[in-house]
Amino acid sequence: MATDLRISNISKIYPGCIANDNVSLQFKSGKIYALLGENGAGKSTLVKILSGVISPDNGEVFLNEKNLKLSSPLDAKKNKIGMVFQHFNLFETLSVFENLSIDANEDNKSLRVRINEIFKKYNFSIDLDVPVLNLSAGQKQKVEIIRCLLRSPKVLIMDEPTSVLTEQETEELFISLKKFCDEGILIIYITHKLKEVLSLCDEVAVMRKGKVVSVSQTQNERVETLANKMVGQKLAKIKKKINISKNKDEIFKVKHLNFYSDDPFETNLVNLNFSVKKGECLGIAGISGNGQNELFQILSGEIITPNTSIIFRNKEIAKLNPKQRREYLMAFSPEDRISQAAVPELKIYENVALNNFKSSNFFEKGLVNERKIKDHSKKILSDFSVNTDNVELKSQFLSGGNLQKLILGRELITAPELLICYNPTWGLDVGAINYIHETLIKINDQEKSTILISTDTEELLKLSDRIAVIYKGKLSKIMPSEEVTPEKLGVLMGGGSID
Amino acid sequence: MIKIEKRNDVPMALYFFTPFIAIILTILGGGIIFYILGFNPIEALKFYFITPISNLYGFSELLLKATPLCLIAIGLSFCFKSNNWNIGAEGQLTFGAIVGGGVALLFYNQEGFYILPLVILAGAIGGMIFALIPAILKTYFNTNEILVSLMLVYVSKLLLDYLVVGPWSNPEGFNFPETRQFSDSSRMPLLFEGLRIHAGIFLALAAVMLSWFILYKTYLGFQIKVSGLSLKTAKYAGFKGKTMILVVFMISGACAGLAGVGEITGPIGQLHRMISPDYGFTAIIVAFLGRLNPFGIIFASLVVALTYLGAETAQIFLQIPKYTGQVFQGMILFFLLASDYLLFFKVKILNLKKNELRH
Repeated sequence: MATDLRISNISKIYPGCIANDNVSLQFKSGKIYALLGENGAGKSTLVKILSGVISPDNGEVFLNEKNLKLSSPLDAKKNKIGMVFQHFNLFETLSVFENLSIDANEDNKSLRVRINEIFKKYNFSIDLDVPVLNLSAGQKQKVEIIRCLLRSPKVLIMDEPTSVLTEQETEELFISLKKFCDEGILIIYITHKLKEVLSLCDEVAVMRKGKVVSVSQTQNERVETLANKMVGQKLAKIKKKINISKNKDEIFKVKHLNFYSDDPFETNLVNLNFSVKKGECLGIAGISGNGQNELFQILSGEIITPNTSIIFRNKEIAKLNPKQRREYLMAFSPEDRISQAAVPELKIYENVALNNFKSSNFFEKGLVNERKIKDHSKKILSDFSVNTDNVELKSQFLSGGNLQKLILGRELITAPELLICYNPTWGLDVGAINYIHETLIKINDQEKSTILISTDTEELLKLSDRIAVIYKGKLSKIMPSEEVTPEKLGVLMGGGSID
Repeated sequence: MIKIEKRNDVPMALYFFTPFIAIILTILGGGIIFYILGFNPIEALKFYFITPISNLYGFSELLLKATPLCLIAIGLSFCFKSNNWNIGAEGQLTFGAIVGGGVALLFYNQEGFYILPLVILAGAIGGMIFALIPAILKTYFNTNEILVSLMLVYVSKLLLDYLVVGPWSNPEGFNFPETRQFSDSSRMPLLFEGLRIHAGIFLALAAVMLSWFILYKTYLGFQIKVSGLSLKTAKYAGFKGKTMILVVFMISGACAGLAGVGEITGPIGQLHRMISPDYGFTAIIVAFLGRLNPFGIIFASLVVALTYLGAETAQIFLQIPKYTGQVFQGMILFFLLASDYLLFFKVKILNLKKNELRH
């Protein structure tokens, strides 16, 4: 039976912000729909309304011309609207089957039969009796999808589903989604990633500042046209720079980096060896959770590991803490910009003072030199085009993009010889991503080096001179980036091997 | 169904205003309790909060009680601001008093201007050393400082008990559990003839000024602030976390030790079993009521000192046990935490239909 989902004049106003402004959209089964937009464009609000998490101030939702009252997630489930969120809602220590049986209204025997039917139909294979924590991200997502399928949904909403997947897993997901679509399930696919829209979806609705700005057939669109619709301005395309750093000196060299942790949620690192040349960007790819956190903390000095040798500009720095490493002109931009790189409750200038390098004189003889810190902060705000000039503002009021600019500015204003960053553009919108990428390229142009640990392969291919992949705490061989393709990276990131 | 959400932006003015709301609610709550006990609430509250400070002597008693509370709370604010939960100030106070008192007893039959400074210094060092125990165990053995510091309170109290009954008891004291009287050179100078208020108050005021300077104007203060808000950030910034834990515990212990030595060289004049009516624990309430802010702590120590005095007056005039003081202190903390909760979170009541609940 065909499904027809209609959203009519939905509005949702939060104090100081219109999240959804009179949004009307129509979806019909048999097609895959993309909902595209920057952070804060209103996609999530719309999805939350459809899944009953929040109620709209105005407007209605019709499923097959029946006016739905969605006042809780249960209403959405009852009306056969299924939702797979970006962050998994699974109990890690329970088995796959236990997770699936939690909200099922049937006995275990018939549930198992139905699950196996779904496995057969879509070619899934997951061991039902292993704890979820042993599964890969892709498998976890499948468990979430199966949970939806068990309720035979009419509508399936996928929120940023590929952010944690390898290329292979993404391909598999797309195949499954197309199958669901053929069977008459209406699919709404929410994403930032333009290429996925083009390769998977039939129709695309673009949202900007709470409004639907365009609805079109994907066959009429290209990456650039979609990006422009999404951002609302012509994007200057960043060109990949040419590798000129052959035969340069190695300024950073890591030998025998081993890390062993008792914590089951940390990844052990096994004998990592690599080096970075002057003016070079070394990319480290990998699905999150393969040891990047631990690697970043060891490189920054937050974790000191015994028997590791880290040589930076001909000095052994393996035993130094982050502050001491900064004195040698290293800089760090961690992944968690909200609660690690900065403190939301602190004012901008106080956050700037966190990078208290020796020549800054922020704290002369142990006393705070507030004027110096503030002047310095003002310079960062203007040099790195953060959209405020008020250094007294608490940093929790900065958007993700502006906060990241502030952090990069703080780290870069010391002109470091090596910047180590981890997912610098995570969760940012296209405009901010472009700015950050340009900045990172500029650093390399000035003969300074970067180590870019990232889960975004596109970003890595764009910025790196050489790329290695980290998988389960082991580093692949380092490849010149012109020899690397997204497919190759995907294979390595998923634990496969090339050549 | 009730849903609790975090508020995004809490105005600072309100943050410093809620302690007043807590105090007003405490007074109201006290009135209700008095009413239930069969007293005229207005009259009882008058005995509790006004009579004690209606004359000069009462006012001096208020400052006398506020002094140790203020000193200890100032020290604790260093710990609490940096996420170190030192619950054992009472023990540090006691140990400070033991060490300081020990020095005073050495000089029991001597006079000299140098004796009092030595006694005070010994008290501060004693408190500091005693606070270093939980700090070192925390930094090097990963123990929980709450448990260690709390348990050490009983260690120091039992040690004091042993000393005043045994080796340090007054040979001419008819086996009373107390030491000799300190010599006049070991006593805090009185500020006014006939009043018990002594020079220890200047120590408290100096601690307030100094702590304000350290917390807001120095690199150490900045590190304490950042560590309190996010340990992850402190680590990332490369602050020396272990050193800082040791330093804040030392500051805190020294303040508690000073408070202890202030009591024994001030109003008490010797060592005995009951040198402190739990000032070290009550100061935790003072620190939070004062919002861990040095000047807020002055105000809070006066308010809480009044509950001690009020309890004594109430015992005399209304014949109710002086432990009502602790009831009031408990109520202040309760109402403060409750109003903070409402300040930082909003409570939403959601309507759910019956069948949904059943589902």
